[in-house]
Amino acid sequence: MLVLSRKAGESVLVGDDVVITILEVRGDVVRVGIDAPRSVAVQRAELIAQLESSNREAASPSEAAVASLAKALRTSR
Amino acid sequence: MQEIPVIDLVRPMPGFDGDQRFALVRLDDDGTLCELRSLDHEDLRFLVITPGQFFDDYEPVLGDEDVNLLGLTSAEEALVLLVLKPGESLASTTANLVAPIVVNTTNRRAAQVILDDSRHALAAPLVV
Repeated sequence: MLVLSRKAGESVLVGDDVVITILEVRGDVVRVGIDAPRSVAVQRAELIAQLESSNREAASPSEAAVASLAKALRTSR
Repeated sequence: MQEIPVIDLVRPMPGFDGDQRFALVRLDDDGTLCELRSLDHEDLRFLVITPGQFFDDYEPVLGDEDVNLLGLTSAEEALVLLVLKPGESLASTTANLVAPIVVNTTNRRAAQVILDDSRHALAAPLVV
């Protein structure tokens, strides 16, 4: 991992067209501005981790859970 | 909803890198409850619904990257599926509104898109 020290207002260029700017440092919170083409996905890492865990919890429910949900949906309409 | 025999998940779901081909299969007569069944691992499946009757005002907006990835040319060809986590009862069953699976029904390309919008919940109770 490349480690750089930056001050508020300073930037890092990633590739040709992604600019990461440190906007503000206050206590333990760093505000970061990311300027990237619309074709580049920028995601918060913890959101991907939460989604992975949500997907794992949703995967392959038991037959009993599926049957019970199907029945509940049928009777709710 | 319609059944689709082979869906190509062009970007794997986080946590399931090895599963790229799925089938969309109905689990009830009117097609409300469906499953996405992995064609790569036969024991993997996800329960899905379309948002329509459960989340009236849910209108995911896709970014350019996802639109291009799926090759979508119109909103009509996009099928939006919400992944369910079944609970003990209907009341404790939740849907993932943060990351719906969007299927291009024309070319059968799909991806779990991430909507980083604080209005959406990862585990929203089903509204019935």
